[in-house]
Amino acid sequence: MSAKPKLRSVWVFHLNTGACNGCDIEILDILTPFYDAERLGVKLVGSPRHAHAMLVTGPLTRQCYHGAKKAIKAMPPKPRIIVVIGTCACSGGIFYNGYPIYRRPESGREGCEYPRRGGIIELIEDLRDEGEYVGPVIYIPGCPPRPEEILYGIAQLLGLVEKKLEGEHYTEEVGFELPEAPINERIRLTLREKLRHVVGYFDRDKILEDFMELVKKAEESEKPKEELKKLIDEYNAKIRDVRISFCMRLLENEYWRVRDALSAGKEFVYWV
Amino acid sequence: MPVTLRYPFTELEAPPEYRGLPHIDPKLCIGCGACVNACPPDAILRIDDYDRGTRKIVLDIGRCIRCARCEEVCPTGAIRLTNLFEAASPDRRDHIEVVELRLVRCKVCGNYTDFTERQVKKALQILPKEILEEEALEEKVFICRNCRRKGTVDATINATKEVVL
Ligand code: SF4
Ligand code: SF4
Ligand code: SF4
Repeated sequence: MSAKPKLRSVWVFHLNTGACNGCDIEILDILTPFYDAERLGVKLVGSPRHAHAMLVTGPLTRQCYHGAKKAIKAMPPKPRIIVVIGTCACSGGIFYNGYPIYRRPESGREGCEYPRRGGIIELIEDLRDEGEYVGPVIYIPGCPPRPEEILYGIAQLLGLVEKKLEGEHYTEEVGFELPEAPINERIRLTLREKLRHVVGYFDRDKILEDFMELVKKAEESEKPKEELKKLIDEYNAKIRDVRISFCMRLLENEYWRVRDALSAGKEFVYWV
Repeated sequence: MPVTLRYPFTELEAPPEYRGLPHIDPKLCIGCGACVNACPPDAILRIDDYDRGTRKIVLDIGRCIRCARCEEVCPTGAIRLTNLFEAASPDRRDHIEVVELRLVRCKVCGNYTDFTERQVKKALQILPKEILEEEALEEKVFICRNCRRKGTVDATINATKEVVL
């Protein structure tokens, strides 16, 4: 957006170009009293002929292509703002290489181009090639974006807030860190992989960190095996969560299996 | 009592477990490409440039579906999902993060290999110290696939000659 348009109350039309409905439900959300996009002057209208802006969701399927083109052409010639909602509309999202997704011939499907191509931008470029005017475009990625994220995008369109993100480019100059874990890195990665079978990404590192602390303490003592068992019993009694207790027992077994094999001089220890 | 959120006019934080925008920590990333293989919508790319000797790991938030599979597979914990969500922007280039790393130069032929210097450091950290000698490693690690293969073939041919003679 070079010259920021002075916008007061934008009337929007909601266009689904093959979305899975996730994004559409979030659009309904921002019209509820809790999020209330209408206080920013946004009003949902029933025809593109009345709309300043088009809320586009979906990856632009071939089926939708001509309908979407007609809808955008039916908007008044100005300002024709496009609010691109969801990862699908931004770049094709999870459906990016599906057979029914429209792509301009030069966009390619398996290329290494970035920003990634796909979504409504293909139609906008087709329209611009035909000489149609299409106004400013604002991208709101997310699958689906939170209602707050959509509000933020709309507020940015209206000039109420500034954008927070910038493209980033790092080279080797930032320096390199190779953190040392309290236990052998090879064992740590094996345990991490094992733990992945039972807990999600979010709790995994925390549980493993706690476990490594216990191992570190146990290894300092005379009889590490008994000591580790005792420490884990104490830990479990404190945490009182069977799920975490289960993970700790699993890690304990796995730890001794891998460590004993490694100390016995076996070069290959199977991961799982 | 008004129920409406004051949001765009106030700051708002997402809950800590919210799967928000992923971010690569350039200090930790070794350029292994595990996240590239795992990412379902190809939001992360690995672009090798053998002329300049660099590998780019490119993350496009505008293609990311916030599934956290990259975080699950990353061996160094470099890529993480933050709980930030405000990614709206009129320019798609704002959604790009590039981490550019140096590739290893082959000691024998001088061409660039297909692994990064950081990957070698990480691999040396994982290898059990007792099993392999440090000096033998130093000689073998910094050699490209072709030269290594050639070395093996040459050694085999020489060995065969000795047997034949
Ligand atoms: S971005 Fe995600 S939620 Fe939205 S339409 Fe696409 S797949 Fe569905
Ligand atoms: S969260 Fe999922 S979609 Fe996003 S970059 Fe990671 S693997 Fe790819
Ligand atoms: S998996 Fe992690 S270390 Fe490997 S390239 Fe991706 S972010 Fe970097």
